[in-house]
Amino acid sequence: MIFDTKTKLLSTTVLALTLAAAPLAAERVLRADEVAVGEIDPAKGTDYADTILAINLYDTLVYPKQGGSGVQPHLATEWSIDGATYTFKLRADVTFNSGNLLTANDVVYSYERMIAMGQGNASLFAGVVESVEAKDDHTVIFNLTSPFAPFLATLVRMPIVDMATVKSHEVEGDWASTWMSQNSAGSGPYVITSHDPQTETVLSYEADYFMDPVAGHPETVRFRYGLEPSTVRALMSRGEHDISSQWLPPEVYAGLAGEGAKLVTEAGLTGEYFKLNTQRAPLDDVHCRRALAYAFDYATMAQLTQIDDDTSTGNPMSGAIPQGMAGYDASLPVFAQDMALAQEELAKCAYNPADYPLDVVFIAETPARERGALMMQAIYSTLGFKVDITRTPWALLTEQVTAPATAPHVVEIAISAASPDTDSLLYAMYHSSQPPTWISSSYYKNPDLDALLDQGRVETDPDARQDLYAKANAILAAEVPDIFAYELLSPFAVREGVTYHNLEDPARTYPTSGFNMRFADISVPEAN
Amino acid sequence: MSIFRRFLGRLGASLIVLVGVSMLIFFIARIIPGDPARIALGPRATEAQVEQMRETLNLNEPTIVQYGLFMGDLVRGDLGISLYSNRPVMTDLVEYLPATLELVLLAGFMMVMIGLPLGAISARYRGRWPDNLVRVLTLLAVSAPAFVWAVGLVLVFAYFTPLFPITGRISDTLDIERVTGFLLIDTLVAGRFDGFLSALHHLILPAFALSLSGIGQAARLTRSNMIATYEQPAIEMAQAYGFSEARIARRYAFKPSLIPSLTIIGLDFAALLGNAFLVEVIFAWPGLSRYGVGVILQKDLNAIVGTVLIISATFLIANIIVDFLVSILNPRIRFSEDNP
Repeated sequence: MIFDTKTKLLSTTVLALTLAAAPLAAERVLRADEVAVGEIDPAKGTDYADTILAINLYDTLVYPKQGGSGVQPHLATEWSIDGATYTFKLRADVTFNSGNLLTANDVVYSYERMIAMGQGNASLFAGVVESVEAKDDHTVIFNLTSPFAPFLATLVRMPIVDMATVKSHEVEGDWASTWMSQNSAGSGPYVITSHDPQTETVLSYEADYFMDPVAGHPETVRFRYGLEPSTVRALMSRGEHDISSQWLPPEVYAGLAGEGAKLVTEAGLTGEYFKLNTQRAPLDDVHCRRALAYAFDYATMAQLTQIDDDTSTGNPMSGAIPQGMAGYDASLPVFAQDMALAQEELAKCAYNPADYPLDVVFIAETPARERGALMMQAIYSTLGFKVDITRTPWALLTEQVTAPATAPHVVEIAISAASPDTDSLLYAMYHSSQPPTWISSSYYKNPDLDALLDQGRVETDPDARQDLYAKANAILAAEVPDIFAYELLSPFAVREGVTYHNLEDPARTYPTSGFNMRFADISVPEAN
Repeated sequence: MSIFRRFLGRLGASLIVLVGVSMLIFFIARIIPGDPARIALGPRATEAQVEQMRETLNLNEPTIVQYGLFMGDLVRGDLGISLYSNRPVMTDLVEYLPATLELVLLAGFMMVMIGLPLGAISARYRGRWPDNLVRVLTLLAVSAPAFVWAVGLVLVFAYFTPLFPITGRISDTLDIERVTGFLLIDTLVAGRFDGFLSALHHLILPAFALSLSGIGQAARLTRSNMIATYEQPAIEMAQAYGFSEARIARRYAFKPSLIPSLTIIGLDFAALLGNAFLVEVIFAWPGLSRYGVGVILQKDLNAIVGTVLIISATFLIANIIVDFLVSILNPRIRFSEDNP
């Protein structure tokens, strides 16, 4: 009898708990995830998650060109360039989520706020713009310090904020910094419902948005952070998650694909580079660097990037510049291993490999990269190099690479272009004026390359720029400051029934990393 | 010494410990490699921007001056801005601490309510099948870390048999106003029993995963202590008086055996705060442990110190509570303190 009572009590409790967990009402919800933390203030964010939040909460004057390269009109309907003066005509029908009309004054304020705060993408504009002025409500003029050809492309990184709303939340001249990390003040298709930077951001659709969404777009988006691969796998299998992040291990993508998920990839102008420390022996000798590059096993590397028969996370490269950027030359052969040439170059190297052990570092937080380091160890030992592999936490690596003397010989890093312009990739990586950071950790110095990169900044003719960057690309391929392992394709698992239009249809794809995840361009099932 | 005076003494000592911890972690955090300003601003930031950030964070001041500034702000309840979340550190701590405490408290509750009875049953049936079964199960429990259990429990009870939710603290469809941050309380305050059940439903799996190792340890400790107590003359005396086995077990064997178990459980409880990290990651639990690891990786100096101070304070409070419980359970301690 007692047993019966207890059993009934237990059954009732389990039933009640199960019912409590059931959703009360069906709605069209998109659930996606990204890295550990998300920043919603467009003046602070830089990484992939921040980009996704920025493009859904805010608008920019121009946007990466859909299905092509370069930029296309967005808030700006047209523009004119007169030397160092850029004049933009703005749409007159755009309102912020607050109901305020978006005007040229908002553009001026957004620029001033970003520069004054000095965070996020402000560095892309540092020293470039002399002044910004609102000619009238719908005309804004940027006066540059000197002609700067990548300027248009750089504007994809300058979201426009609602000046009146932001100003009303300023405290002691803080540009509403704290408030803007918890709330949105944009004109984008979505508005913040709640935001917890390490758990999730909830966004809801704004019906008054000036562009049309796709049919079946989500009314609510739950953008989650820091989910474990095993958690994502379980959630997607239960139909409780729609689009994975790009950071899952290959076997998890394969497993999800086996359970019906679609795998799509985004080519976001990102290269996977093995940075070679050109300031440390023996890699200060170009012949040694070439020997390493020729010996590198690109084919095995390509196999390592393969998720299944149909999906790879890497495209072979033919130089430093990924596809779709000025300077990329499709006619060049992709890199391939050639041990004979490697031995030939090694013979010309001034150093004896046996006397110079190579320290190869992989980032502790990305354990999959150990495979690349092990591959190098195996191959380079045949050239006579002793390779020491070190697993280094990211924070420690950022410290090590601030000086060539403390930086490792080799470190594998993925580097993305900040904008659709080649300048945003090559200048930060290879111009000798750049501070020593992980992006520039090959410490390569070449006046000829500097001159080409400087010319690329002032030359506005697209054909001439293509030529300049092609020459820069040729120098880099010959001088090997890095081993150009592969162009990174970011993989995403998409739940059955969800359509990620921008990545499933090449004609709709935006060429810059992160800009494809416009939530209003994703279709989700009605009852979700 | 009255209990109140003793409490004040322990509190004073704890404050001194906290100041010591703050100094230690403040200086250690600055030894961790990496420039926090550069990490926060990214590789494309100019040197001028990095320098501006360093000035804002007082990183160019001597470390001792930085510590003085930090303590001055701390007294005013200001722990600065987190570079990890870009919010005031105090906001983060207030938001994330209750989530972790709720998890850890339920895990601690499970340790006590499951571990101690299991140990008592095992001792009571020493050498028989219930004892053998408990010993095997508890050995399994202590031999695997919490995150292994977390993954296993997700697989069994959320993936293959979807009985429990996988992530979060409460159903997405429920909107509960946060008063204390403890959802089990806030839902009841809001009069939402459905919310309470949902919060409990979300809590059970992560708390159980977190508690399993402690359950095993508490059970094994209680068993060995009770077996030792059973060999005491007092038990023989009780048996000679003809007391029932259940009464002997409960009153004469279990209670004295509780004291060492309680001490260990107190320490285990505090350790749960640290162990909660991977459990919080696996269940996407928005807690302080996960935050703590995030801020260390980001070298977020203000947040590191704030998090460590909070965890230290919780550890000290847990120990004070255990000390008092032990002195209540053990008259010898209580009387020796009253009559030194």
